[in-house]
Amino acid sequence: MRTRPRLLSRIPVMGPIISFLFVSFAVTLSTDRFLLLDNLNNVALQASIVAIVAVGSTLVILTGGIDLSPGSAIALLTMIMGSLLKFQGMSVPLAVVVVLIISVIMGAINGFLSSYGRIPSFIVTLATLSIFRGIAFLFNDGSPIFSVSTSLEPWFYGQLFGIALPFFYVLITYALAWGFLKYTPIGRKIYAIGGNESAARLSGINVNQTRLIAFIIAGLTAGVGSILMTARLNSGSPNYGVGTELQAIGAAVVGGASLAGGYGHIVASMIGAAIIVVVQNGLNLNAVQTSWQNITLGAIIVLAVFMDMWRTDFGRWIGRTWGRIFGQRPGMADPGPDDP
Amino acid sequence: MNGDTTPTCEVREISKAFPGVQALDRVSLALKAGEIHALVGENGSGKSTLVKCLSGVHQPEAGEIRLHGQVVSMPNPIVARQHGVATIYQELSLVPTLSVAENIFLGRFPTVASGQIIDWQTMRRESVRTLGELGIEINPDVVVRSLSMAEQQLIEIAKAISEDSSVLVMDEPTAAIGLAETRRLQELIRQLARQGKAILYISHRIDEVFQVADRISVLKDGRLAGSEPARDLNVDSVVRQMLGTEVTEHYPKQHNAQVDVCLQVENLRTQSGVRDVTFSVHAGEVLGLGGMVGSGRTEIARALFGAERATGGSVRLNGRPVHFRTPTEAIKNGVALVPENRKADGLFMNFRGPENITIANLAALLRGPFLDLGREMRFSKEYFVKLAISNTGIERSVQFLSGGNQQKVILARWLFSQARLLILDEPTQGVDIGARIEVYRIINELTSLGIAILLISSDYPELLAMSDRIAIVHNKRILQILPSDQLSEYRLLELASRAHHPSEGRTYEN
Repeated sequence: MRTRPRLLSRIPVMGPIISFLFVSFAVTLSTDRFLLLDNLNNVALQASIVAIVAVGSTLVILTGGIDLSPGSAIALLTMIMGSLLKFQGMSVPLAVVVVLIISVIMGAINGFLSSYGRIPSFIVTLATLSIFRGIAFLFNDGSPIFSVSTSLEPWFYGQLFGIALPFFYVLITYALAWGFLKYTPIGRKIYAIGGNESAARLSGINVNQTRLIAFIIAGLTAGVGSILMTARLNSGSPNYGVGTELQAIGAAVVGGASLAGGYGHIVASMIGAAIIVVVQNGLNLNAVQTSWQNITLGAIIVLAVFMDMWRTDFGRWIGRTWGRIFGQRPGMADPGPDDP
Repeated sequence: MNGDTTPTCEVREISKAFPGVQALDRVSLALKAGEIHALVGENGSGKSTLVKCLSGVHQPEAGEIRLHGQVVSMPNPIVARQHGVATIYQELSLVPTLSVAENIFLGRFPTVASGQIIDWQTMRRESVRTLGELGIEINPDVVVRSLSMAEQQLIEIAKAISEDSSVLVMDEPTAAIGLAETRRLQELIRQLARQGKAILYISHRIDEVFQVADRISVLKDGRLAGSEPARDLNVDSVVRQMLGTEVTEHYPKQHNAQVDVCLQVENLRTQSGVRDVTFSVHAGEVLGLGGMVGSGRTEIARALFGAERATGGSVRLNGRPVHFRTPTEAIKNGVALVPENRKADGLFMNFRGPENITIANLAALLRGPFLDLGREMRFSKEYFVKLAISNTGIERSVQFLSGGNQQKVILARWLFSQARLLILDEPTQGVDIGARIEVYRIINELTSLGIAILLISSDYPELLAMSDRIAIVHNKRILQILPSDQLSEYRLLELASRAHHPSEGRTYEN
């Protein structure tokens, strides 16, 4: 569905995979602790939450919007989950269902305001970013809830065939998201409204409804992320999820999604999440301060957007050079649409 | 206009290649002071590339550009403007939120206090003078957004003229404006030529080129196919040069109107001021909506499509009363709109051809809850063959297709959605003549299938030739409906303008 130079787009996720291998290689060289089994396990668990939240962020970005609220949503939802399990004595399956329902409602609020409410999603989710975290502090007098439940860990961090369960959750989430985007009318419409909203409206697409659905899914993935976070840390805290929205948006952008909407491959976002977590892990292992980690994350996102913008030009440059050397063109470079 | 003086601007043997295409191949042109030089050619023949070389956007790989006999290099558009080459592009470059005067002086405001404060008085006075010289009666304090496309075009010209340029390059200046406005623009161009400016005038409309040009040059596949005084040429010879083959029939009109009425509109009234609109369209019939830009043609179409609120009247589709509040409802009932602005309102540049074709009728691809992508590809390939769309569009984004092919993709979209009433808003705007004829053939094919068509066009010969009947829209209402064979271009223009000057009496849309 993407229209990039052919060599790069034949496999749409080739670029991010190459970046991932490059980053992993660099981190491996920088520290011999990276490849330790414990560390890799830790990286995978960390990446799983970012990757799942990134599904929702990618969907919203594909519509041409942005969701800044999942980090705060996670904080609020871990507090709700913690309260339900510890103070209300609710069973784990029931608490999970309740949290997911609330997460859908939170996504729907974002979606409703930024579609039918006609407020730019950037503003809506900037507001809910503040609101959700504010509400999170209303629980338990603003203190974290520790030792939520002993039954959480086996549910979510048990192992299947010797592999931690979150790995399967990620795979299932991405398989569903991939199928949803490729094989359902709503998935197609998400790409369409991001590509050209006006044309989408004139083609009979209910733009508001489509946007609302993207935000609801974004809420749902934040909900899944919050459950995994509660289980992993066996606690809820109003301070969880700080910066998660940036990691998730970063994952989508590093994976090649265009912030203007319409372009992006969901599987690339998973690799994008892995790249971001590996970089942060590499910085951690090399004892780089948190301040520099934040700076690096921001720089990576800017770099990724630049690379995305340059990729077409880079492809043309390769085409020209190839033509000079071999006297023929590989057929990958194209003039822009305005040129004949 | 004598041949022995030095041309104001001359390009000699310039070439420019893009990967995969030789856009310009040793093209030479001479623009003389006081001469209107028209440049025609199909889409992709290199016209726009030539314009961009002249205006400093592209750098030619070989050849030279001379101004007043001196070789100049134009590394960027700013230098080109400093050399006195003003270019008016197809897409207007005005800032909609600024006033007319501010736009005219954009980037070079007259200042006082050593350049720190804008001299509003001088700016306003100079604007009035410039507009007055050109005979444009537009208040310089008006915000550009409130002007019509045609008026904005005039402002664009005023802006170019006020820069004291000696060469004026106009890329499709009439693409978005109606016939009366075109006449007015042409008068203005003639006036500028009389003042000694060299003018390069690029247009798709060959009839129009003959009305204004002193010399006509034809580009074909990046090469100059001919450059002769207009009086030695006729429409057929130019079309032959453009296409390289003989075109016998410009408008292959078929009459397929049936007895059954498809659409019946009575006393339609809309929020935008359209009123007392009553007409009917039969199955297989083409009803043309003639009138000037801003006359209400587009508003009528949008109201029928549910894109604009109808406030009164009744609409019957195949005998059933309908009232569409959204395009979605209209599409479900078999009404489709091919919008005027293909790129902004029609195409999904992030999709390939197949996704663009099926987007309005995804339900037809469903197998259970899922899209059958195999079926999508099969259907799309059928349409690509049937409408002779370039195969590039099957595998790649539609942004790589020419204007004509893009328009055919949109027509295929509505064929696939089983539309029974098709509203075509300027369907051949920016489409080259070869592809135009194909669009006309598609219109014939659609009507032979019993599809009713509402055709909006500012190209009057096209409107006359392709419509069975024409409704003349004037001042937001329908004046008259006449069989098109009882109308001439002259009569149509007379009815549509009705002693009505385009810049007067126009109500500004809010």
